[in-house]
Amino acid sequence: MNDNLLTWFAIIGISLTTIVTRGSFVVFGSRLRLHRTVEEALRFAPAAALGALVLPALLLRHGHVDFSLENQRLLAAFIAALVMWRFGSMIWTIVVGMGIATLLRLMA
Amino acid sequence: MSDAILWRGPAARAAFRAGTLDIAPAIPATLAWGLVTGIAMAQSGLNLSQAYALGLLAFAGTAQLAALPLLASHAPVVVTVLTALIVNLRFVIYSAAMKSEFMMLSFPRRLGIAYLIGDFPYVLFERMAPQYEPRLRPVYFLGIGICNLVVWQAGQLAGLLAAGRIPPEWGLEFAGMVALVALVVPMLRSRPGFAACAVGGGVGVALDGLPAHAGLVLATVAGIFAAVLADRLPRRAR
Repeated sequence: MNDNLLTWFAIIGISLTTIVTRGSFVVFGSRLRLHRTVEEALRFAPAAALGALVLPALLLRHGHVDFSLENQRLLAAFIAALVMWRFGSMIWTIVVGMGIATLLRLMA
Repeated sequence: MSDAILWRGPAARAAFRAGTLDIAPAIPATLAWGLVTGIAMAQSGLNLSQAYALGLLAFAGTAQLAALPLLASHAPVVVTVLTALIVNLRFVIYSAAMKSEFMMLSFPRRLGIAYLIGDFPYVLFERMAPQYEPRLRPVYFLGIGICNLVVWQAGQLAGLLAAGRIPPEWGLEFAGMVALVALVVPMLRSRPGFAACAVGGGVGVALDGLPAHAGLVLATVAGIFAAVLADRLPRRAR
């Protein structure tokens, strides 16, 4: 199957996950009671998924963990994370992260 | 029904307006986040109609941003959809918490309300709704949700259109990754959140070589287990 068609399937699937999760109780009137453990699992699922997505993307270069300064995106993302931790501003985090990534790219 | 929901009339209009005003302080952040999502989508190999469709139908910034690197690297559709599902699972909690306010509505109206449930709207509604009579709460939520929807979509549209004029060498798709980092950082402040992210990330790095992005799925499951365990550990004395 061609990539274009597969991308469309993915788009439809992603959209379905939105309505299935947001609608679970409100639309479909699930009568389940959320057990405490289940609720915790649901609450921390995004942190787990985002960690699993972001850390390998930033740490690995050519299949190896790269902590050197050559790994420009890791450095930019790390400084962006510090900005978010200290100031809690999404906008400034993105501005700083992209600014540093651009600077490093132009200097290299 | 004596306590029928109010959709029209001065009281309903006032509640709708109050909803839009209450979410107004979040407009700059929502706009910026929509903009970044639009730019990242356009720079990650989606064509314009695909990007519009994803933005309008999914209307879930975190899931969209999380899906982009997977779409760009042609990961299996199952893995991409599963990742979006896991990122969206928090909405199940919101949906459960809000159910009682909307269960008397018709199916299409409940569908519309559910579509509008996002992070900001949920938090705001949970905090403010008790100030309103139950029959005004749905229209109050509509005020919040529609304002949030319009602002987000406007930002996203602007990002999509702007990105078409920006050369790919600028590496703007990295803005999506930075936005994901910004979303993760506040989660690190709680012990289970930190455990989920650290274990998910560590296992993800270790299993990166597995075929079909299976490492991502396994790492996420490991991260969720770690969070539940971390919450079970005895707390330190304060």
